[in-house]
Amino acid sequence: EEEEEDDGMEAWERAYADERSWENLQEDESGLLRPIDTKTLVHAQYRRRLLAASRIQKGLIRYLYLVIDLSRAASETDYRPSRMVAVAKCAEAFIREFFDQNPLSHVGLVTIKDGISHRLTEIGGSPESQIKALMGKLECSGDASLQNALELIHGYLSQIPSYGHREVLILYSALNTCDPGDIMETIKKCKKAKIRCSVIGLSAEIFICKHVCEETGGSYTVALDESHFKELLLEHAPPPPAIAEYAAANLIKMGFPQRGAEGVIAICSCHKDVKIGGGYTCPRCKARVCELPTECRICGLTLVSSPHLARSYHHLFPVTPFNEVSSVFKLSQKLAQTCFGCQQSLVSIGTKFAPHVSCPKCNQRFCLDCDIYIHESLHNCPGCESQR
Amino acid sequence: MAAITMAAKYKTTVKEPGIPGVLKMMDDVFAFTPNDPRSAMKLKVDFRNIKGHKFSKDGSKQALLNLTQDPEKGGGYIFEFNNFTDRNACRDFVGKVLGKFQALASKQNDQPVSEKSTVSVEQLSTTEMERRMKLLREDSELQKLHKELVFGNILTESEFWATRKNLLDDDYARISKQRTGFKSAMLADIRPSTDGRTNKVTFSLTPEIIHQIFSEKPAVHRAFLNFVPSKMTEKDFWTKYCRAEYLHRTNNSVAAAAEAAEDEELAVFLKHDDILAEEARRKIRRVDPTLDMEADLGDDYTHLPDHGILRDGSKETTDAENDIARRTLAQDVNRHASVVLEGRALDIELGDTRTVAEALARSKQESSADKSDENANLERQERVSRMTEIEDLQATHSLPYAELCIKDPREYFDSQQVNALKALGSTVAGSRTIDHSLNTEEAYVYLLNEISEVKLQGLHNPIVQSEAALKVLSGLTQQISSTRYNLGKNPQESVLDRLPKRTKDEIMLHWTSIQELLRHFWSSYPITTSYLYNKVLRLKSAMTDIYQKLKAIKDVQSDFRHQISLLIQPMLQALDAAFAHYDAEENKHSKKNGAKPNGFVQ
Repeated sequence: EEEEEDDGMEAWERAYADERSWENLQEDESGLLRPIDTKTLVHAQYRRRLLAASRIQKGLIRYLYLVIDLSRAASETDYRPSRMVAVAKCAEAFIREFFDQNPLSHVGLVTIKDGISHRLTEIGGSPESQIKALMGKLECSGDASLQNALELIHGYLSQIPSYGHREVLILYSALNTCDPGDIMETIKKCKKAKIRCSVIGLSAEIFICKHVCEETGGSYTVALDESHFKELLLEHAPPPPAIAEYAAANLIKMGFPQRGAEGVIAICSCHKDVKIGGGYTCPRCKARVCELPTECRICGLTLVSSPHLARSYHHLFPVTPFNEVSSVFKLSQKLAQTCFGCQQSLVSIGTKFAPHVSCPKCNQRFCLDCDIYIHESLHNCPGCESQR
Repeated sequence: MAAITMAAKYKTTVKEPGIPGVLKMMDDVFAFTPNDPRSAMKLKVDFRNIKGHKFSKDGSKQALLNLTQDPEKGGGYIFEFNNFTDRNACRDFVGKVLGKFQALASKQNDQPVSEKSTVSVEQLSTTEMERRMKLLREDSELQKLHKELVFGNILTESEFWATRKNLLDDDYARISKQRTGFKSAMLADIRPSTDGRTNKVTFSLTPEIIHQIFSEKPAVHRAFLNFVPSKMTEKDFWTKYCRAEYLHRTNNSVAAAAEAAEDEELAVFLKHDDILAEEARRKIRRVDPTLDMEADLGDDYTHLPDHGILRDGSKETTDAENDIARRTLAQDVNRHASVVLEGRALDIELGDTRTVAEALARSKQESSADKSDENANLERQERVSRMTEIEDLQATHSLPYAELCIKDPREYFDSQQVNALKALGSTVAGSRTIDHSLNTEEAYVYLLNEISEVKLQGLHNPIVQSEAALKVLSGLTQQISSTRYNLGKNPQESVLDRLPKRTKDEIMLHWTSIQELLRHFWSSYPITTSYLYNKVLRLKSAMTDIYQKLKAIKDVQSDFRHQISLLIQPMLQALDAAFAHYDAEENKHSKKNGAKPNGFVQ
């Protein structure tokens, strides 16, 4: 007991009394407060996110249904201005991030209101139409029903081909679910249909949500506040590990269309309108499409461009995690003193090295910011690439 | 579309050879005239007598169309056609006419015209026909397309509509199939609204509330079935019920007892619910052994002073003197919860209270018949086995992940390189490896020499001649900017708007039909049945026709020739691609099945 209470002070008290947290504040030239250096914190968070290095399959062609709870509980104002609005904002950011990281995937939206669920948008590959539909009308009433949502989505997801990964992400604000029948049956159906359900709760941990996620292999997390909610939501953007029984390896036919020249006039097959210049021609049936990635309306071929594939490829072969380098007191001439990525000095206070990392393959040193950037956005180590 | 004439054979049964003749169908009547003028088999039948039509599947031995009179007896007029296209044309015509008549008939006497489908026959329900006709009426483009393709015998009705399922499928119907569960709010605990000025207390009951009351209080349900409409009207029943509720709420047990003594029906509402009591007794015998009552005791603070759950802000008192039932809040909440968790048993619309009550009674009977002790035992055992493992002590059992086994991609690229080199190497006589690496010293010297040379002589060996480069650049710029210059001045105007209306419509129509044809064409590959093969042949002939038409348009001399040809070019390209694919597939097949004369797989 005495270890817990240090001189009768709690941990938060110690932060003020002993560590003098106010001294971390600094002013810059114009007298404004400088933001507190949270680099080490952010870096620690990022390291926690790195998965083990074992190679596992990931579902790259994902068909995800995002379920938004618009029941009475979504009008609670514990998230400013209300849960519903906060969820919608984060969902918009999530959709953009999702298409960034998974260009070959599709997203659809479903809402739960008044005890029934309603499909807002069909499953599709363009983020703009989804976001527009989401921001259209946001009003909440009635109860939430998990079973109706799962049943509806099960009906739609059963039609997609077997090489696609079927996922559901439920953003649940209510504390209960009012179902017309036995939800356990629905859960069994979803499991059989290989649908992976994940839930992010906004109020409290609910047993039935946990059960759904456990049974279908998804993840259940509960958000503490708005920023935590956004973090949890964005964690679902990179492709999840594929579950052994659900993964089916197939050969998928894809087309790589050429971009049309500037002077070409053609009637595009998606808008039924004459377009001048630009556009892509399907290599099989020569129909014109406006944007990639998409499915050709005439012959059904999946049309992608090579950067889209490359973006998906990075998830399978991530950059090896860098090793942390403990602070070296002695300044040795052979070691570089600047970060290889951004050329910022690694030497801070006097002769001490600031915490930094080094790549195990090329032995170059990088600062913490570059470390996060390389692993999460760039997906290539500059040191290794410059050596080849 | 007013009449259709076709050569056909009339027969009364499928097995008959049939009498050859001519079948003529008009808007309200159809007539059959046999070829042999001596034959007595002339027919003239009003379509009103025909209740339905059946036909054999495309690709079966006979192209039959059966116009049935009586759905039960199955008798009718059977016509055999020479080929399926004829039969399909007649069938579609008949379908339309029948749809028209049936729509009229159903409005008059609400007769459901449901045709029992036999094994090899395709039926169209009247609603389907109506929806299709409505869609055709509303969308003139669709109608034009439909006319061209279906009546031109290029596509059949079913094929045409198969791609348009999303138009026909009523999305709303799918949503309304969802049922809602009981609301978690306790609606059965109805609250009256009081009018401050007068002494009136108003209770409002919606069908949802009534449904919940019936589910939660079986005694009230039974009373309703017994009293209404024999002893009192529904309104009286609910008035008495609300009065009983009000008496409960006021906690005035003496007044309640007095009223109960007066009015025996009211007394029913004030007594304990005996059906519930009976159920509870039964349930106690089958209590779940895994239920942990010990943990509950420690949490029970409701008996302490100043604690407890208050109903409507007033503490509950128990009055044991009178027989008036007192339901604690806990009892009500538990009863409501158990009803909600059972789920909604009724599927019908909540409207008439009487029907709701009866349906509920029926479903209760069924469910009580189902329950057997054996089931309960099995459930209990399963529950026990599930609860014996302590969740917190278990490791998280997530489903195992799939291992990634991709060969090193560099191997693939290296092997490709080797292949490429081999291909090159076969043409070039051998290849010597040249060592191109220089050390820094040599590289520096080389660069110095080059630079000094350039300084002396200037760059006189450019990759591209400057005059040629200039010509190409100016030519390209002109080409790129010309179309945009001509057409981009007015952003609202598009290329099509500049063309005369007739040409524009023609081109658009051709374009829509090409889209449709190509879609069907590409979806027919790979060809696995002869039906698909025939379909592809039909499509190909239609495509050739359009190809010729487009070529003709392109060759017409007009002011806009250039634009038109630019527009038509991609369409021709698409058609060319389809033809090329067809030819390639044909060659593949003929190579595979050299012996077969036709070359398609049955």
